[in-house]
Amino acid sequence: MAARAKLNQAGVMLPRIVAAVVILCAWQALALSGLLFRDVIPPLQDLARGLAGVFTSPDFYANLLVTSVELLGALLVGGAAGVVVGLWLGGSRFAAAAFERWIDYLGPTPKIILFPVLILMFGVGMQSKLAMGAVSCFFPIAISVAAGLRGVNPVLLRVGRSFRARLDQKLLKIYLPAMVAPLLNGARLGFGVALIGVLLAETKLSKQGLGFMVMDAYQHFDMPRMYGLLIVSVGMAAGVNQLLQRAATPTKT
Amino acid sequence: MKALIWATALLATLQMAQAETLKIAVGQRGNWDTAIPELGQIAGIFKKHDLQLDILYTSGGGETQQAVLSRSVDIGTAAGSLGALGAASKGAPVRIISAEMTGAPELYWYVPTNSPIKTVQDLAGKTVGYSTTGSSTNTVILMAQAQYKVAFNPVASGGLPATFTQAMSGQIDAGWASAPFGIEALNQGKIRVIVRGAEIDAARNQTVRVNIVHAAILAAKRPAIERFMQAYRETLDWMYSSPDAIPTFAKFSGVSTDIATQMRDQYFPKATLSPDQIVGLDSLMTDGVTFKFLAAPLSAQQVKDVIQLQPAKP
Amino acid sequence: MRRAAAVFGMACILAVLALLQMAIQAEWIDAYVIPLPTDMLASLPRLVAEEHIVARFGVTFGETLSAGLLALVVGVALGAGLYRWPRMRRAFEPWVAVFAAAPLVLAYPLFLVLFGRSSLTIVVIAFGSALAPVVLKTLEGFTAIRPVLINVGRSLRMRPADEFRMILMPAALPHIFVGMRLALIFALINVVGVEFLINLGGLGQLINELAERFDLPGTWASIGLVVGVSICFFVMLDGGERWLRARS
Repeated sequence: MAARAKLNQAGVMLPRIVAAVVILCAWQALALSGLLFRDVIPPLQDLARGLAGVFTSPDFYANLLVTSVELLGALLVGGAAGVVVGLWLGGSRFAAAAFERWIDYLGPTPKIILFPVLILMFGVGMQSKLAMGAVSCFFPIAISVAAGLRGVNPVLLRVGRSFRARLDQKLLKIYLPAMVAPLLNGARLGFGVALIGVLLAETKLSKQGLGFMVMDAYQHFDMPRMYGLLIVSVGMAAGVNQLLQRAATPTKT
Repeated sequence: MKALIWATALLATLQMAQAETLKIAVGQRGNWDTAIPELGQIAGIFKKHDLQLDILYTSGGGETQQAVLSRSVDIGTAAGSLGALGAASKGAPVRIISAEMTGAPELYWYVPTNSPIKTVQDLAGKTVGYSTTGSSTNTVILMAQAQYKVAFNPVASGGLPATFTQAMSGQIDAGWASAPFGIEALNQGKIRVIVRGAEIDAARNQTVRVNIVHAAILAAKRPAIERFMQAYRETLDWMYSSPDAIPTFAKFSGVSTDIATQMRDQYFPKATLSPDQIVGLDSLMTDGVTFKFLAAPLSAQQVKDVIQLQPAKP
Repeated sequence: MRRAAAVFGMACILAVLALLQMAIQAEWIDAYVIPLPTDMLASLPRLVAEEHIVARFGVTFGETLSAGLLALVVGVALGAGLYRWPRMRRAFEPWVAVFAAAPLVLAYPLFLVLFGRSSLTIVVIAFGSALAPVVLKTLEGFTAIRPVLINVGRSLRMRPADEFRMILMPAALPHIFVGMRLALIFALINVVGVEFLINLGGLGQLINELAERFDLPGTWASIGLVVGVSICFFVMLDGGERWLRARS
């Protein structure tokens, strides 16, 4: 059994290693060929240097802090609003029939187009980026919460009623456990779009934050640094995404 | 001795506490005309007037104006005149407190040396960059189009470095620049000038850039803003008279002192930076309507409301 | 009840707009930042006439369709391939998941340099962003096929091509439709977003330009227009999906 598992592991690793090697070789060939403009595909050693440079530059951590604060604020504001609206829509069939389609329609629109208006309302500082992230994550969270609430097994609700459970008991012992998966999924999606919203807003008009650093590197054509910053941002996004995904899918029994 | 140190420290803190902080949005970091706030701060001139400047650099007049109108900053320098007048005509609470640049001798448009474009006429159908909508580069490129009667495609390419990247990598055919940016590349033969701002007749007698504030901020902080303009004038004098000016600028902007001297003497006659008069208001109105920034020329009352120059103290 | 609720919902929204109108006219809200809703509506004819709305709409729509359809075709092919070779799937499905979560659009300056300042860049970014979700959904679809159907095929000794055509594809079709909707929605979001950011193209660029000209009624009106386009898209996709499901 263990031997087969090990064989499976090897079976998975080999294609990955081959793919990675092929991609890296193709990259290096393209970088050294001189076909493309200067540094736009930098050689791997420059890329590594850029990545290392990101971690060793002090202003990276300051800007990371700014982006993180904006992101957390966005998740708090947008998430709270999303949860409240989601609960309302999930709990009332009338409300859902009246309003949920508007949330569905507005969800797929790109929120970055609201940015000029948000700047006028909140200024060019951190608040407008926070607002951008909050508006972005409100929709997937509201939709997930509404769906999650509707998905709670009615049998569980009847059991709760037959035990004359208090509201807080119902919330903690019935609703919350039943909604964990959709809530975490909503949080995962919300985090993703909030991050994109905040970063894009920073690239458009800001003097701090990771998005600003990316644009600054690009404007000075410091491509290795730009790639380094992109790798770090994408890596963090993917990492959090994986964590939330693992938390949302319960271990199979 | 210890007492002396403590006393000095206390005085210094008190002095700092007295200095009022003004947030300034400045378009295009590293230009000579836009360096007035930064250089004045470094030379201690603003401090003398009890002002501490917190400077935010934007990539053009359009962004500067957004910062001012959203009250994120107190003063916006180097905003495009037509952008400001256009916003004011639409009811935006923007006020012009001084001229910033009259004429456009420092602007030029360039192509990479190996570009097939050799003259202005070759620009027909090509993409030509300007910074942001409503900026002076926007106005001047439209003037160039009218003067040379060439139909090209103006494109908002953003700030100086971004535009340079786009021009050299072929995303746009011609980029804009203002001295001292690009002078080194010019001297090295990497780029060629196609159009100079100095050639554009319509621009020569027109104030193309202004300094702006939000109406509410002007009402609330008028004394500080008056002191700002005083310090601004003093810094301007200093920049053309003090031997420290060029080295300080060179250090701040990263160009050599030779290029900085070349830039000041050849591209920035002192009179063009005078803040005390908006030149060519009539032509501004006409151009504003032609280039679609204004639906109609501003009325006399509107002009009086919007343009509130802070007079020089005797 | 549903119809009454829908009408009620619409009425509420109109009521909010009316309240907004009154609040702005009473100067409780700064008319500069949020213009009168009537002004916003009034600017629409001007936008259509002066800003070539129809042409812009065509550009945005064309870019979205190109990116979405390309993502659909390549995504289904990749998904089918990963399903066909389980070893590849085990190896690369996590990579696809990471790719799906990555904010590719953040690298738009790079794409500008690689592909030039043109619609091609927009289509490439939108295609890249829509591809991974389509692959994942296709895989999900094929995996969900009831084994009995596959066993039937095997017992009939079907050739792999026939098995694909007559069993796998029809059974996976509902999931592929969801994938197509995902592809087009992701494509639209990214197309309009990138148009806005790099100031090029159709509706996204219009919003940016109007905002920079401080034409606030126009800016709001064009934002509303993009929302309207998105709604139409959504409704069309919903309808199309239902029609295709009814057929198959």
